[in-house]
Amino acid sequence: MASRIDPTDDRWYQRAVFYEVLVRGFYDSTNDGTGDLKGLAEKLDYIEWLGVDCIWLLPFYESPLRDGGYDISDFFTVLPAYGAIEDAKAVIDGAHSRGIRVIADMVMNHTSDQHPWFIESRKDATNPKADWYVWGDDDQRWSEARVIFVDTEPSNWTWDQERGQYYWHRFFHHQPDLNYDNPEVADAMLDVVRFWLDLGLDGFRLDAVPYLFERDGTNGENLPETHEYLRRVRKTVDAEYPGRVLLAEANQWPEDVVDYFGPEGDECHMCFHFPLMPRMYMAVRREQRHPITEILAQTPEIPDGAQWGIFLRNHDELTLEMVTDEERDYMYAEYASDPRMRRNIGISRRLFPLLDNNEDLARLFHALLFSMPGSPVLYYGDEIGMGDNIFLGDRDGVRTPMQWTPDRNGGFSTADFAQLYLPPLMDPVYGYSAINVEQQQRDQSSFLHWLRRLLQVRREHPVFGTGSFEVLHADNPSVLAYLRRDETDTVLCVHNLSRFPQPCELMLEQMAGLVPVELSGRVHFPPIGELPYFVTLAPHGFYWFSLQDAGEGQEEP
Amino acid sequence: MIDLATIPDLLVEHLPEHLPRQRWSGAHDRTVSAVSVRWHEVVCEDDESSLVWAVVDVTLDGTEQQAYQLFVGLRPVSGGAEFLAGKDREIIAEVPCDDGGPVVLYDALVDPDLAIAVLHLAAPDVEVEVRRPIVLEHSNSSIVFDESSILKVFRKIEPGPNPDVEITRTLAANGYEHVLPPLAELRRDDTDLAVLREFLVGATEGWQLARTSVRDLLASRLPPEETGGDFAHDAERLGAILGDLHLAMAEAWGVVPGDAPRWAAEMEDHLRGLVSEGSLDVHPTRLDTSAVADRYHQLAELDDAGVELRIHGDLHLAQVIRADTGWFVLDFEGEPARRRSERFTTSSPLRDVAGMLRSFHYAAATGLAEWVEGEDDIDRELLELADAWDLRSRVHFLMGYLSADGVEALLPAETASRDRVLAAFELDKAVYEVGYELGYRPDHAVIPLAGIDRLLRAEQPS
Repeated sequence: MASRIDPTDDRWYQRAVFYEVLVRGFYDSTNDGTGDLKGLAEKLDYIEWLGVDCIWLLPFYESPLRDGGYDISDFFTVLPAYGAIEDAKAVIDGAHSRGIRVIADMVMNHTSDQHPWFIESRKDATNPKADWYVWGDDDQRWSEARVIFVDTEPSNWTWDQERGQYYWHRFFHHQPDLNYDNPEVADAMLDVVRFWLDLGLDGFRLDAVPYLFERDGTNGENLPETHEYLRRVRKTVDAEYPGRVLLAEANQWPEDVVDYFGPEGDECHMCFHFPLMPRMYMAVRREQRHPITEILAQTPEIPDGAQWGIFLRNHDELTLEMVTDEERDYMYAEYASDPRMRRNIGISRRLFPLLDNNEDLARLFHALLFSMPGSPVLYYGDEIGMGDNIFLGDRDGVRTPMQWTPDRNGGFSTADFAQLYLPPLMDPVYGYSAINVEQQQRDQSSFLHWLRRLLQVRREHPVFGTGSFEVLHADNPSVLAYLRRDETDTVLCVHNLSRFPQPCELMLEQMAGLVPVELSGRVHFPPIGELPYFVTLAPHGFYWFSLQDAGEGQEEP
Repeated sequence: MIDLATIPDLLVEHLPEHLPRQRWSGAHDRTVSAVSVRWHEVVCEDDESSLVWAVVDVTLDGTEQQAYQLFVGLRPVSGGAEFLAGKDREIIAEVPCDDGGPVVLYDALVDPDLAIAVLHLAAPDVEVEVRRPIVLEHSNSSIVFDESSILKVFRKIEPGPNPDVEITRTLAANGYEHVLPPLAELRRDDTDLAVLREFLVGATEGWQLARTSVRDLLASRLPPEETGGDFAHDAERLGAILGDLHLAMAEAWGVVPGDAPRWAAEMEDHLRGLVSEGSLDVHPTRLDTSAVADRYHQLAELDDAGVELRIHGDLHLAQVIRADTGWFVLDFEGEPARRRSERFTTSSPLRDVAGMLRSFHYAAATGLAEWVEGEDDIDRELLELADAWDLRSRVHFLMGYLSADGVEALLPAETASRDRVLAAFELDKAVYEVGYELGYRPDHAVIPLAGIDRLLRAEQPS
């Protein structure tokens, strides 16, 4: 059972497991073919049963939906198709009553071109919102800034006929960048933050944070002014809403991302660790640990109170955008030579198709995700092994409806099939008749039940969230073993990255005398002695052991 | 405790039995005909445990002279020596004591406390908590401290500085990053007795990585470039750091013009040695010694031989480790069977390259042999895959090697000359391997013989 929320626990996010939910795709309570907030509220019991700690909602604000809702046209309104503010409030309150927190996406950098601020701003150069966006007379300024969506956008500047000037946009041309040099904008966005925190949200996942400011002679990324504004946001949140969390999306190399924690841990509480997942994938393809240990070795220390967000898959594509310099060469060389990896770059895949529907491998990936340093983020549907539909294009392939039952529309909606926002998966392998929550809840040996138990185990050992991480020496390169350790608890994690059974000798002399107790079945393994500790691992198998004093045995008196 | 002044006598009495039991000792399974203690020193002494450090001169089989370094621990049998349970081989003797129970003399490197005392001889200021010995070592003994540093204790003592210590120190001082320089040394009379280095936790031997890749290849039944475990990029990075290593060695110790006639003469010596041993005759696979000798003659006639410099001398996949910070080259000791004075190897840098290329062949061939073990007909497809892996590793390793900025200046100018020198060194290495295998693992001799066959069949350099 999920515990009640402890309001004094300001660092809950360091131990939490997050669950990323697409409102549109979760559950349709109004039978109009689109998921909604009331539908999500109806499914909170399921999320509680699963045992996650925090829901992350993808954007649910008013929007023309030209970029999955990341093109917000009113920060204070819910998209009518999803419901109203009261429905958002009901989701938050319902989650809180079940011991679950809720954070939501927030786009700071830009708005939709349908936002009233922009409609007003583009009218002329003298209106009250004239300087709320970034306008210019020529489209050559800041040419050092790269075009991110090179496939669709020829430039970061787009000509506006109405105002007779160019406006600046780092993403799509229908998403003009807000002008943070204007104090009114900086204040207005803080009011947006306050509005949702007042409603009860436990924090934000801040979309595209590196681009808030523009400066001559720079590429417009990670500017000091941007960091300064984030510190202001953090200060406001800490002062007015203690215990709420800011999670930065900065798709860059860890040594650069780490700046978003702030030098004193005074910017974002959490940042995503992007390169970890591609490295995990590479490690099992290569059947050796180095791709993982290498990236962890390159990951800098983070400030006290900070935490990485780590994930297997999310709503975006597998990307190499974050790699830099020689790491870029390295990653491209590794990926480009492997057709199976190459095929998956730049397209959205869900976890199971990416792993060729290999459930053992999916279990190994979750064991790694749940035991490596960081707070895991699950993506809705991955807990039952949902597939994707790459023919839907863009990122919609991984945003198909949640599969609740084997019934019509996968139990997502009773609307007509043609009315659904996206067709549910119906293929024989991943379709809702084969893969759905109902069937996996009935089946005790299902992936869903296994994952739920793993979540319980993780919850029992806060050391997974905040303990030290120490890689152990192992001669066998296919084995990745490490200790998670704090003052009261030591957990030993041993993983086989190979599809063959593997032996492993672990150098645990420093733990001599302790007894490894396997965490899923509480079986006591032979005590650690002076010699290397020998374990054998099944293909893609893993063990998590709690190392306990020998006196803690369960013999009868 | 006993009077430590009696230690030399005790060693003279008990070492003839003790030394032949030690894997690290050249006296393994031989007769120790005389022992004398060159010097000894009490490192620490109290009622619980004492440590005596000594170098002893030993005569083997009545003729051969060797010197060994010993760390002798002493503890009362009645207490404190529990770690010796099951380690009978490390016990030198049990001796009675006048003022108490008997005392056990043993190899102090297995003692958790005294091992740290040994470390402190080399590095007095290092604070450590836990040590673990590395088991199954052949010539020396190593102890890992706190998973962060490793102390290598030389057992067999040769006068003068240890080349591995000297070379890695110089290379690191010159900015070459792919060796592990000494953090501290134990030295006496200009002779290296132990060296402390960083321990790269999680690093793996190149040989293990290559074998993991070959296993993935054979199980996948796909061309190597399509397998997840493709070794090419690791091989390329390995090649690149070897190129840089040769450049660093050239900078540190200079170069002289390559002496192809001498190289060829040495190779012919090795070949003659193999033939004269006679064991070739009993092996069913014929070795075309005259064709090999022809290649050596062609080498001897080569004017365009590149340069000669101090090289690693015994490079193969088990001498390199892959850590999170890249590849590292270990063990600059030359071929272990040769005496130290002969081990200051100067030769063509292509000799090191050849050593690694032979190692790729071994990784592919032994991987294949294990995969098809017990099968009567070797699957043609697997054979071709193993060959393709070998070839791909070679090509990428050489690409990496040649990508090192300036390495071309060390090599023959013409590609054809380069190929000829490289092939000759590969043949020489394979000839050495044939001799080794016939002596120790006769059923493995087919591997180097097949390698020689392939080299001889390769297009004659024009």
